[in-house]
Amino acid sequence: MLRLVASFLALVCLWPLAATAHGPTRQKVVETVEINAPADEVWAVVGNFQDMSWHPAFKKTEGTGGNDVGATRILTLEGGGQIFEKLSKYNAEGKSLAYEITEVDVKVVPVTNYSASITVTPDGDKSKVEWKSAFYRGYVNNDPPPELSDEAAVKAITGVFQSGLEALKKKLEGG
Amino acid sequence: MPIRRSSPALALTLALIATSAAGTSAADPAPPREAFVTNQTADSLSIVDLDAGKAAAEIKIGGKPAGIAMAPDGRFAYLTSPESKELVVVDAEKRAVAARLQVGQGPLGIAVHPKNDRVYVADWYEHKLYAVDAATLKVVGSVEVGKSPSGVAVTADGARILTADRDSNQVSIIDSASFTRTGTVAVGERPFGVTVDAEGRRAYTANVGSDDVSVIDLSAGKLIATVKVGHRPYAVALAGGHAFVTDQYGGTVTVFDLASLAVVKTIEVGEYPEGIEAEPGGGSVYVACWEANTLERIDTATLAVTARIPVGDGPRAFGRFLRPPGPLSLPKAPPSLPKAPPSLPKD
Repeated sequence: MLRLVASFLALVCLWPLAATAHGPTRQKVVETVEINAPADEVWAVVGNFQDMSWHPAFKKTEGTGGNDVGATRILTLEGGGQIFEKLSKYNAEGKSLAYEITEVDVKVVPVTNYSASITVTPDGDKSKVEWKSAFYRGYVNNDPPPELSDEAAVKAITGVFQSGLEALKKKLEGG
Repeated sequence: MPIRRSSPALALTLALIATSAAGTSAADPAPPREAFVTNQTADSLSIVDLDAGKAAAEIKIGGKPAGIAMAPDGRFAYLTSPESKELVVVDAEKRAVAARLQVGQGPLGIAVHPKNDRVYVADWYEHKLYAVDAATLKVVGSVEVGKSPSGVAVTADGARILTADRDSNQVSIIDSASFTRTGTVAVGERPFGVTVDAEGRRAYTANVGSDDVSVIDLSAGKLIATVKVGHRPYAVALAGGHAFVTDQYGGTVTVFDLASLAVVKTIEVGEYPEGIEAEPGGGSVYVACWEANTLERIDTATLAVTARIPVGDGPRAFGRFLRPPGPLSLPKAPPSLPKAPPSLPKD
């Protein structure tokens, strides 16, 4: 009996840990970088929705519609797999654009309902680039497998943002 | 150019609040003094002093709270925490968690009956609406609704409950006395928030999938109109003859006229606006902006943002989050009303 109580208590103690991966909770990833280059130069690169070549993860960008709201692009990853995206906002004056993923296999990027924005803010001769996103994990029901959990989704997007912003900085600072 | 939202400019906020403090006439119903904002990312609740225009407290909740409803007398706030599958009761005066209880598999939308102490919780995964007795904190009933019910609303007379059944593209109408579903109304794609007008005449759903709002005539039980709004509408508030709709992806609030159903303005707000509610007098509408981490006030006469109040990370405030003044709270009572006879020794 005592043993039973003890194991029940152990279960109760473990329960909050097991519960943290549940439920429909939107995730948020925000990454920023400071670049020693004028905002106009930075925007000339990231403000072109049809060219993601500044990001090392993407091999090819194909799209239509230029930088008009509603424009689309297909990103082909270095490791294979494709991401279909649509431009939802474009503000050249404010140096900001927003886009969403319209289609992606969760095996390629473990997220659903993904949207993001990139904004370039001038800081004298330098600039700040902020990349923000909102998404749900790849598995939409309770009890996700580990590769489709909240943590996996946040890790994947954080990785994409950090490697991209690092490469962007290098490219613009001529390193 | 949209207003910059990346850095909450304190000076601007203060200036805006200074201008917003005036302009409430004595004839208006007492405005709410506090907003209870669920911060899902921060796993907390911000209690915002609406007169001061700043968060007065932030308390830890657990389970990533999203949905919220208020007791009619303003004494308690009821929160849903989807990750821990709980209903969390917060004592509004003490600003502390008073109780928590397991409800279903994916509690999200929540509403409170105006008279009988029932709290209704929609279960996203089990496709049910649960009734909880707020006095005993026990689940006292459940009713099958459509798939993934999200928003819940109760008519002001308490007779009917509505759920927005997101994955069935419909609204379920439930008779609250018998707690049975009496009908469904087909609406736009992926309805999320649902709001009923004060007279119980019409209901409005924000349809995330079709970027529009469905208008339902409740006595006929029929869809009577569809209004195109911004990108990814989430919830609707009603004030001053207008509907105010949060457009998540748009970063805007679309305002349309309730009589003509014509869009009159699109207001730029903080990124990812979600929960929205009108104060009872209708002078202001408050919006929680998930990405911007703000609670913003819209003046319903000028249709302009007049305050931008920093809150915790990832505010959702999905439901009724303005604390009713209630019969118990006096307007602007001095902070130290004696709670015990003055002869008792101070601790």
